[in-house]
Amino acid sequence: MWSLRASAQSAALALLFGSQCLALELRALPEFFRPDPFGGIVESDREGAAWLDSVKITAARGGYASFQVSVTTAGDSECQVSIEFPLTTEIYREWFHFNTPDKKYYPDALIPVHSPYRFQIPDSDNHVPGQTAQGFWIDLWIPRTTEPKIYRGEVRLASGSQQKTVPIELTVLPAVVPEDDAVTLDNNSYGTSWLFDQYPRTLGQEAKNSDDELFRLIHAYHRIFYEHRGTFHQLGYGHAGKVGPEFAPVLSGVGRHKHIVNWDQFDRHYGPLFDGSAFRGSRRGARPIPYVYLPINPEWPASFVNWGEPGYEAEFVNVVSEMEHHFRIKNWTSTRFEVFFNQKKRYKGFPWDGDEVRFERDNRYFIEYHRMLEKAVPENTPVHFVMRADTSWTMAKQFDELKGIVTFWVAGEGELSWYPAAAKQLKQRGDTVWTYGGTPPVQRVTTAMTLNPLRSWIDGVDGFVRWLTVSPGPDPWFKFGGGAETLVYPGERFGVAGPLASIRLKIQRDCLQDLALLERAARLGSRERIKQEVVGQFNGTKLSDWQNTHAVLPTKPVLDWNNADFEDALKPFEARFSHLQPAAWLRVREIALQESRRPQ
Amino acid sequence: MSPAVRYALYLSAAFSLGAISLSAASKAKLERDLDQIGRVASVMIDGDICQHIVTPRAMEYIFRKDPRDPYADGDNYDVDDESFIRIKKTLIRLSQLADYPVDVNLWMPLNANPPRIHIVIRNRYEMSQFWVWGNLTQNMFPEMRSVLDTGKRLTVEHKPGFVSVLAPVRNSLDDIVGLVEVVSRTEPDARENVK
Repeated sequence: MWSLRASAQSAALALLFGSQCLALELRALPEFFRPDPFGGIVESDREGAAWLDSVKITAARGGYASFQVSVTTAGDSECQVSIEFPLTTEIYREWFHFNTPDKKYYPDALIPVHSPYRFQIPDSDNHVPGQTAQGFWIDLWIPRTTEPKIYRGEVRLASGSQQKTVPIELTVLPAVVPEDDAVTLDNNSYGTSWLFDQYPRTLGQEAKNSDDELFRLIHAYHRIFYEHRGTFHQLGYGHAGKVGPEFAPVLSGVGRHKHIVNWDQFDRHYGPLFDGSAFRGSRRGARPIPYVYLPINPEWPASFVNWGEPGYEAEFVNVVSEMEHHFRIKNWTSTRFEVFFNQKKRYKGFPWDGDEVRFERDNRYFIEYHRMLEKAVPENTPVHFVMRADTSWTMAKQFDELKGIVTFWVAGEGELSWYPAAAKQLKQRGDTVWTYGGTPPVQRVTTAMTLNPLRSWIDGVDGFVRWLTVSPGPDPWFKFGGGAETLVYPGERFGVAGPLASIRLKIQRDCLQDLALLERAARLGSRERIKQEVVGQFNGTKLSDWQNTHAVLPTKPVLDWNNADFEDALKPFEARFSHLQPAAWLRVREIALQESRRPQ
Repeated sequence: MSPAVRYALYLSAAFSLGAISLSAASKAKLERDLDQIGRVASVMIDGDICQHIVTPRAMEYIFRKDPRDPYADGDNYDVDDESFIRIKKTLIRLSQLADYPVDVNLWMPLNANPPRIHIVIRNRYEMSQFWVWGNLTQNMFPEMRSVLDTGKRLTVEHKPGFVSVLAPVRNSLDDIVGLVEVVSRTEPDARENVK
């Protein structure tokens, strides 16, 4: 919970958000209000914003509490910021990205620094013309074993003979943030070639030969998303079936003689992820990843040259059987191994759509692969193979036709809203249901980052996939494209051989912490009441406003409508969520903390 | 030409090519190998079947510009499975004449003014010197125009390290209805196109 009360002086300043000429100022902001490099607050976060001269936060244990500070100077200045606090703190310098879509500056990438940290304004590295302010993100980590009480400390700023402080008061509640999330927040990616583009020094020619650095980096990406209460997916094959060398075991032979001959690369990549050791030393503990794409596609392990012939089935069954055996022997039984088809016929590799089936006859391929999968995997195996389908155009038909075939659905969030009962029905028959969508760019209000997770929780789906979260574009530092395809940044520029988190990723993490608290409270029996309170505080809606009605459009033959019709049909529903206040989630957090105080 | 005769020709070609292997790829060897595969491809690929791959409905949409929906062409792209599979299998077999990564892509011209062409079948390594990822159709390339007009194979080396041989595909009327791009590169990249 945040105290949004500002001092009289700060309240007056809050009315002036433009660039201001201040001697030296140290001011705080709740996490949802981003500072700009000119002593103001970014335009999209200004509604209800107020500078704070002290930080007062209430939080549960086993999670993070976050806030920001902004240092403002009148002219060129050398400064030092430090933090004194009895619990573990992490400080990040906020990078101001020049965002080309609207030609404004936004902080997003977070560069870790150590207290005390010396810096200059303007920052000669960030190159912001006329910069008068520098923002910092501060995470307070509250271990599960922390004694519940009030903790006090302060942020200090020194510049020449001047000193400023912002007091911090953190009230730690007895409640503990549950380890398990209410919603699995999945961060998707494709292949590994982007790592070579983003880490030219780390993955130079020498590293390319040994692969040690590559695997370390891959695991670092898993770790950063895991530490931020998310999961990470990397699809390991292309639209025509080419499999990256670290995503699949090596095969040899053809037809009945095709077998796995080498697991080295696969095991180095996935072993630490499937046994959880890749997360050893993390604050959330060493746990196996919950989901992974398998490399299975129409060209692997069986060659498409034999499709429809006995040899195709022989190759498929041989290799998948050996995979099941290997996973079982290794005791990799906590992860769901996804048989997922990503190809689309428009990319000319195969004659059917695996992803977002539009032509209903393509469902028969899923049925055929399921038949072969059943033949390959023993009925009583402890290894979890699942057939996953990402669905949009024909989801209602697929839910029906592929019952018992596909058991893991990743559905377009908008389309699924037309079938309000579907998620519940699918879950009742034992299926897993996620939805998918994009990532709000930096120019959107910060609270937009909480909308998809909240909607998933309100709708009762199990997870949400952001379809691409590791692609910051060719020049994220000075010609940023908004970041709708990234939540992390390559750290090489700052001497960090791994990914940097973003403000948006941390906002998402803090939202997921709150959702975990809300879910635990909801399980105690007041789910409807809690959801009603949450949506009311979030955007003044009723719970019924979050449920769409059956639309006319999907009752028409799917080939008679297109994307534009689809977007038009969804507009009235989506408009209910178009205006979000930056403080919306702070009000939701208050409910989460209130609920966590109730006797359990 | 009957399937049996085609298969006999394929075997003959495979025998004459021997083991096309590439431990250290040289451009000269690529040029020679790919040209031989292109020659065999012109014999083996059935142009009549190729003409049945893209469905008439997909053809209607392929040039339709909908200002409200820029994805209408791709969303309505569809193929006749049987024709696609038959030709794709042949293309894969042709690529297997080399024991290093080779793709044999099928391209077909479109009835458009100005002339356009589209890739109809791609293969495992997703190599091409012409295809722009995601483009459903493209402007006609002069090299492809030349093959379609003359029926003569052509070697193209525009992108560094890549070699493509373009070879004509004929139907039963002896019309040139398309072409194959037999393509490889001197230094294959194991990770490119995995996306």
